[in-house]
Amino acid sequence: MKDWFKTGSPWVWLSAGGVSLSLISVVGLLWLIASNGLSYFWPSQVHQFNMVDEKGQKSVVIGEIYDRERIPASQLAHRDLGVEIEGDTIERLLIKTGNRELVSLDFRWILGPQITEQSLPEDIAIVERRSNGNFYGFLEQIILDGEVVDNSRLDELLDRVNEFQEQIRELQQVDIGAINYNLERLRLRERKHVIDGTLTDEVKRDLEAQTQALKEEYQVLEKDLTALRDQVSRDQIVMRAMGGEKVTINFEQIIKVTFNNQLGFFGKVAVFFDQSIGFIFDEPREANTEGGVFPAIFGTVLMVLLMTVIVAPFGVIAAIYLHEYAGKNAFTKLIRIAVINLAGVPSIVYGVFGLGFFVYMVGGNLDRLFYPETLPSPTFGTPGVLWSALTLAILTLPVVIVSTEEGLARIPAAMRHGSLALGATKAETLWRIILPIASPAIMTGIILAIARAAGEVAPLMLVGVVKMAPTLPLDGNFPFLHLERKFMHLGFHIYDVGFQSPNVEAARPLVYATALLLVTIIIGLNMTAVNIRNKLREKYRALEH
Amino acid sequence: MITVNPKANEVAAPLDLNNLTPEQTALEIENLNLFYGEKQALNNISMKIPKGQVTAFIGPSGCGKSTLLRCINRMNDLVDTCSIQGDINLNGENIYGKHVDVAALRRKVGMVFQRPNPFPKSIYENVVYGLRITGEKNRRVLDEAVERSLKAAALWEEVKDRLHDSALGLSGGQQQRLVIARAIAIEPEVLLLDEPTSALDPISTLTIEELINDLKKQFTVVIVTHNMQQAARVSDQTAFMYMGDLIEYSDTNTLFTTPAKKKTEDYITGRYG
Repeated sequence: MKDWFKTGSPWVWLSAGGVSLSLISVVGLLWLIASNGLSYFWPSQVHQFNMVDEKGQKSVVIGEIYDRERIPASQLAHRDLGVEIEGDTIERLLIKTGNRELVSLDFRWILGPQITEQSLPEDIAIVERRSNGNFYGFLEQIILDGEVVDNSRLDELLDRVNEFQEQIRELQQVDIGAINYNLERLRLRERKHVIDGTLTDEVKRDLEAQTQALKEEYQVLEKDLTALRDQVSRDQIVMRAMGGEKVTINFEQIIKVTFNNQLGFFGKVAVFFDQSIGFIFDEPREANTEGGVFPAIFGTVLMVLLMTVIVAPFGVIAAIYLHEYAGKNAFTKLIRIAVINLAGVPSIVYGVFGLGFFVYMVGGNLDRLFYPETLPSPTFGTPGVLWSALTLAILTLPVVIVSTEEGLARIPAAMRHGSLALGATKAETLWRIILPIASPAIMTGIILAIARAAGEVAPLMLVGVVKMAPTLPLDGNFPFLHLERKFMHLGFHIYDVGFQSPNVEAARPLVYATALLLVTIIIGLNMTAVNIRNKLREKYRALEH
Repeated sequence: MITVNPKANEVAAPLDLNNLTPEQTALEIENLNLFYGEKQALNNISMKIPKGQVTAFIGPSGCGKSTLLRCINRMNDLVDTCSIQGDINLNGENIYGKHVDVAALRRKVGMVFQRPNPFPKSIYENVVYGLRITGEKNRRVLDEAVERSLKAAALWEEVKDRLHDSALGLSGGQQQRLVIARAIAIEPEVLLLDEPTSALDPISTLTIEELINDLKKQFTVVIVTHNMQQAARVSDQTAFMYMGDLIEYSDTNTLFTTPAKKKTEDYITGRYG
């Protein structure tokens, strides 16, 4: 035994064990998120349960099985279930029944013993709607312009409506959005003239003419919009719900109708990909519990990129000064220790700092100087994507500084001397020799910064993230990149959907799906940076002895 | 026994090193004292280094020969604790004067280090580095400088087909010749070689030694070496240093055959060092 210890193999086993434990936890984490998240997109079957309750009343429940659990029979001992119970546990199922206009709850628990029959009728339709959630039921009739038509025309009519919906969206968000934006700008220009005292009659006439022109344009577009709206609201379908009630649903409300029980494997795969793509590229609906997360993806990536653009030059410049120019004395050491300790400050503290300094002080003053016409409503004096990026840039600055400094320290003195001996000044040596050689280390800093920043949520809640942003920070209206706008973020989206939504049960798979997406995006951003670093390393490989 | 390079002595008859005319003098070191913090590393060194010849500094480790060499292009400025008294005159001008542009000085006094230190760039970019620093952009001028310098450094034939490959792919001896080419591309007046062959194999060493013989036609060469045979083979003048003192300085032939000082004799006969 003692000999075995001396060979050192216990330590090999110990460290190998540590590595495998970390690997298992990483893989397990990813597997849990992925399996739970991806199952959200897999089309589930819709069951029909024939039930009989304790009073002998029969009923029908239609829905997707969300969860099943066993509870001790004693828990229900006070209730006479009207059926014999075998064993001391009872199975109960959580069923998503949808149909919110009939019952206020999307979900209901049913008890296993009360189920008399369970089947998968092929003609159950799932109607995905723009509001009120899913509808489960049987398709009864399609009413086209007040006349009943054949049910087989459903797909054709849905395609037609979706086309119109797309046109409406385009018209509302792009064309009418641009007119509203320009009208607002004209109003602000007029106010600015009023404030500056330069509102001459000529200017006023000019502005009014422009406003008038825009309004006329708006009226034309509005007429188009109304026409389109009429088109989409023309047709209806009649559905029969599980209780036999007939419900009329306007085509305007329908996103799609699927018959999950009819789908074969490939049909399910097709639906799976369709749903996944929709999740990534659509906008959220129904207080974020339905639809996609595109604005959140966009906001996360944009904010991280902005942060990188800000933190990289600042961090590198600071590190160069600390390492190359600052005197090697106690004060420099103190600054270095302070910088390293900054990395340990809780992120919410940065959030508070960002709110106080960037938003209220810098933003408030910017508003007073450059945007007096919009006051009292703030432009930059309110949380926004720029302030978020700046706050996270400060949060990640120490990481970039420390790794850049380490990179600078690793460069052999022979490189500097070689350059200086050829008549280069210190600055030329830095620029032409030192920085290129240190670039892999700088990239390491940026990778760590991205990894940290993409996962931060707490400070962002104070300086720019919102539950629902009406517009993206990037659009077709000049100046295209609107840094003052608030944005959505995947991390905050997870929190919001998982804990703040009215329907937590429905949102749970969505939480996993969003988490999976967030992890994927962070990995994607990191891999890009790692790739760049590896290319740079390859170039300067021979120097790393 | 040490053999003295016969060629070195045929070309120039021994100079009277104490009475060089200004035209014959490349460098004049006057009463140079150098301190690292409190510790004195060079004690009152005075010598004249003749133009167009090879001068070698020899001596045991730590004797100050490299320090003295680094004074000539002010590389010691990079050492924070280093302070210097005395003058070094290059063409009659004190390089430690008040208004000296150190970068310009280093363009006139090139230096090659102990270990080859090519930049992680292409062979071509390594050679033109000094020219790019001076702002030279003309492609023809740069191309010509590359060819001329690589030929002068006896490297052209080996690399002419891969000028744009990384310099780090060259062998140690090739890298050292590349570094020499890089130094002479900016046409300095003086070339300082700090133990240029100590990290190389014997064959590369031989190539570099032959190269040094060619280089003195264009440049004044000052070489530090711990290898006495090498000093004897390549140099015209040799200075023997010991513990920061310049013990003896004379033409190589004299120093190795009839040294005037006991310490020199002890060193070259291998009694210590």
